[in-house]
Amino acid sequence: MGYLRKLKGETANRISSLVYMGPAIIFMIFLIGIPFIQVIWDSFHTKSLTNPTLKGFAGLENFKQVLSDPLFMNNLKNTVVWTVLSVLGELILGLIVGIALNQRIKGRVVFRSLIIVPWIVPIAVAGLTWTWMLNPDYGIVNYLLVKTGLIDHSVYWLGKTTTSLLAVTFINIWRTFPYWVISILAGLQSIPEDLNEASVIDGANIFQRFCHVTLPGLKNVLTTLIFMHIIWTSVNFDFIWITTEGGPNYSSETLPIMIYRFAMKNYDIGKSSALSVIIIAILLLLFAIVPLAKFATRKIKEVA
Amino acid sequence: MVRSRGEILFSKIATYLVLIFGSIFSIFPFLWMISTALKPDSEIYSTKPSFFSSHFSLKNFVEVLQESDFLTFFKNSFLVSVVTTIIGLIIAVLAGYALSRFGRFKSIKIAGLSLTISQMVPGVLLLIPIYMIFKNLNLINTYTALILAYSTFVIPLSTFMMKGFFDSIPISLEESAALDGASRSRTLVQIILPVSIPSLVSTGLYTFVTAWNEYMFGYVLISDVAHRTLTPGITLFRGQFTTDWGNLMAASVLAVIPVTIIFAFLQRYLISGLMSGAVKG
Repeated sequence: MGYLRKLKGETANRISSLVYMGPAIIFMIFLIGIPFIQVIWDSFHTKSLTNPTLKGFAGLENFKQVLSDPLFMNNLKNTVVWTVLSVLGELILGLIVGIALNQRIKGRVVFRSLIIVPWIVPIAVAGLTWTWMLNPDYGIVNYLLVKTGLIDHSVYWLGKTTTSLLAVTFINIWRTFPYWVISILAGLQSIPEDLNEASVIDGANIFQRFCHVTLPGLKNVLTTLIFMHIIWTSVNFDFIWITTEGGPNYSSETLPIMIYRFAMKNYDIGKSSALSVIIIAILLLLFAIVPLAKFATRKIKEVA
Repeated sequence: MVRSRGEILFSKIATYLVLIFGSIFSIFPFLWMISTALKPDSEIYSTKPSFFSSHFSLKNFVEVLQESDFLTFFKNSFLVSVVTTIIGLIIAVLAGYALSRFGRFKSIKIAGLSLTISQMVPGVLLLIPIYMIFKNLNLINTYTALILAYSTFVIPLSTFMMKGFFDSIPISLEESAALDGASRSRTLVQIILPVSIPSLVSTGLYTFVTAWNEYMFGYVLISDVAHRTLTPGITLFRGQFTTDWGNLMAASVLAVIPVTIIFAFLQRYLISGLMSGAVKG
């Protein structure tokens, strides 16, 4: 690279900047860009994982098949329930614990370290440990719930069609809420203390302070958290696959699990890709709705 | 603070209650995992489970280490995570430096934008095409497949972490090195990297933990025992009909130890990083 030294100024800089950026861009092109184009291409083609002779242009056939799949609506509903309840649970727990951790009390650092624990445990370990704790025969959760009289007899939480999705949601909330606590804590520490004191002097009670000082101060942090977690949760594969594999009888199957099933169990790459494209479209729509909603509320306020 | 005594007392009690319950909620499954791992089978499969036992033993750990493929999985995870960390760090340092110092060029701006977009593409949507690409390249059941996949998904965030740090290093440091005749690559290696050690450590630990904890690509891209990593490995300890929960919890405890140790360090580095304004976002 000795010749680079001879080049003067911006030209040399321009070349070295591209050399530095090169490796990262190569990774993004080959492992994100090309697969992304591939998934869109495959969604319009007949393609099998096991039979290479099955190929050809399929038009919208894959999309038709996915949308008319009797389980598509069920799984879409499961994905929405799983995402909304997870994010809601994480938000509420994150706010309560985050605000508590922001108080000036003894042992804050110890509490904070303990509360982070779920987040460092791999999802596989979290899923297995809770599967064991929720075991219908020997699980500690059922034992405690029966003993305290909250339920009459053991429930197979992860193995019943009515409770499986809720049980996995609960495990997800347990694993993820510490992330919210830490982010909310950082957000709270950026709210100036005198703002709180001024509102106390003005006679605001705890709940008024929460609504008029804390929440507005956390607006940016919460918007980012909610938005990112809607995406992360809706496309999460690990929790559900590790605990229930989408069962029993598809009662906890979400769209990402369905992608896997189409491709790896039915060997239908075309259908699996079409489903991926549908999920991309839904996520892009979500991305578009937020700015649109902001714009609309601003307009309404202007009129009112 | 002009708050009534009653309100202060109430908020103190409420705060402690929340934190105590929050801590128990967080830590209990972890402790239960350890307790199960140490208990003999007769107490694990009891309809009246108890936390403590007078018969705690390391039998489950010995079984896992001697009679299962645990050590192979552990070694594979370690190898994949370490190599991913090294590759990820090198790429993130180079790209982060380019973003920090040459952000004025349009090509670098576009590169930065494409990294931001890449960061938002969910892995599961690309799982099948990545599987097909690796299959065509005969990379299924190789460490290379996992290292490539993991590096790809950590590069964007690692790059932005490094960029944030480089932004805080005064440019005059490099200018004086350039005046002394040092090339840009030499400046980066000899002047910039030595002062970047704290952020190299936190970026590296982030990569290591991400790779160590990853499940989906490990599960799909690897189907032979010799290359299987730890997270899919322990989920396969669960049998079709019966599961040895004592062994499984012992394996879980062992799998968590490295990340726990690392996190003890990461926390320290993150806090010191935040204080020096090095880590942003």
